[in-house]
Amino acid sequence: MSNVITVEPADYMTVAMARIIQDGERVFHGVASPIPAVAIQLAKKLHAKNAVYLSIAGYVDAVPSQFSHTSTAGAHLGEGAVSEFLLSDIFDLSARGELDVAFLGGAQIDQYGRINLSAIGSFANPKVRLPGGAGSAALLPTVKRAILWKTTHDKRSFVDKLDVITAAGNTAYVITPLAIFKRGNQGKLQLYSIFPYSSFDEVVEHTGFPIEKHDHFHKFHPITEQEFTILQEIDKNNTRFSEFR
Amino acid sequence: MSKLSSIQDAVQSIENGALLALGGNALHRSPIAFVLELIRQEKKDLSLIKTAGALDVDLLALSKSIRSVYAGYIGFEMLGLAQNYRKGVQNGEITVYEHACASVIAALRASIYGVSFQPINGFDGSSLPELTGLIKWISCPFTNKKTAVVAALKPDVTIIHTNIADEKGNAYIDGSVYEDLIMVKAARRTIITTEKVISSTEWKEKPQIPGFLVERVVHAEKGAAPGSCAPLYTIDDHEVHSYLKNPKKYLERKVAVSHV
Repeated sequence: MSNVITVEPADYMTVAMARIIQDGERVFHGVASPIPAVAIQLAKKLHAKNAVYLSIAGYVDAVPSQFSHTSTAGAHLGEGAVSEFLLSDIFDLSARGELDVAFLGGAQIDQYGRINLSAIGSFANPKVRLPGGAGSAALLPTVKRAILWKTTHDKRSFVDKLDVITAAGNTAYVITPLAIFKRGNQGKLQLYSIFPYSSFDEVVEHTGFPIEKHDHFHKFHPITEQEFTILQEIDKNNTRFSEFR
Repeated sequence: MSKLSSIQDAVQSIENGALLALGGNALHRSPIAFVLELIRQEKKDLSLIKTAGALDVDLLALSKSIRSVYAGYIGFEMLGLAQNYRKGVQNGEITVYEHACASVIAALRASIYGVSFQPINGFDGSSLPELTGLIKWISCPFTNKKTAVVAALKPDVTIIHTNIADEKGNAYIDGSVYEDLIMVKAARRTIITTEKVISSTEWKEKPQIPGFLVERVVHAEKGAAPGSCAPLYTIDDHEVHSYLKNPKKYLERKVAVSHV
């Protein structure tokens, strides 16, 4: 009898991110980004061997032997790196139009792929003060493609109107535990793909803005055995689950 | 003359109301021993500059030592929000000058270049310029292109924690450098805390920070704990969790006894 393998939303999100990364692209993640950190390594072991891995830790093409459940900003993300390339260099790279992919998050995301990481309520008198957008206000308008992700998919997160527009710009994809949105007509997010355990109706029910299907809407292609095996090798400590609480 | 100083004397040189840049990033290599001494000496009305802050800013928010924060991100990454900072802002005690991390760097660079503002590519579509007043739009005098500019930030004092320093102020960071070198160059004066003090004749590494930019050197072993200082120690998850569970108790324990 074979072992039953349970594939979790975090696995789908990681594989979905990895598949979007193209060979040769310069790819960046910042703080609090365990799923992107693993996804970049996965892409580099599969179809994107020449992707350039850049991170807030300030190194190029690190191959970390393990990841942390607490942080994605530490010097452990320099392990195996060839050279330094500091965060300030990465911002400059994006500013001059030479950063291909940035992974960014949002407490709220709207249908234009804009994000709020500043405050719930008003900025001046917030109900909840949020951490702040980190690099996003500079990166989102200048990076070629931003991939947003969020580990909760509900109407509080995917909203019709942001409380504060922390950043706007070149959002290409948004990845959630249920689905993948892709930017389509008039700069609006459209439903591009859904994970096997999810449905169109479920996504509609949990999203605060109107849902249109993308022209290439499809069921997410199953995770391959190779993807799953390498994913588990890369993320032995299961840090990709650390954002799910 | 030796620049070695006790942590108490170094903190005594900080005036209430000072604008401080703190090195490190998130829970990594930030000058926590120095922050705790600021709290012991009951410094008030401080303003902080950080790209990404965590325990450092949250401790100073808890002790009600700060009136404003210039930063891109304040939080404990996967461990959640910086609750005392959050409360301080929500109560109106702390003013947030929310930047992008990139614009904190640009604002510091303005000071490095000796000018009062710095153009930066970004912020299109963001409400932050209007909400904070720190970013303004100008027309480029050469191309007429609409360009974001950020006001200079000049720290009164930059405090960074390093792996090794000598008595002349030369200092070396092993592991991620983050924005520390930019913070040092932008500041009116710099205080170094360090894991290890050596004689200036003993260097095997090449210090990135030249002593002439440094005013004081404080020997502070485990000076970034419970954060990390690579490669010497990683984040002490147990201690960070005990802080998050009961910040006041944690702070009382830390303020009572200086380990430096």
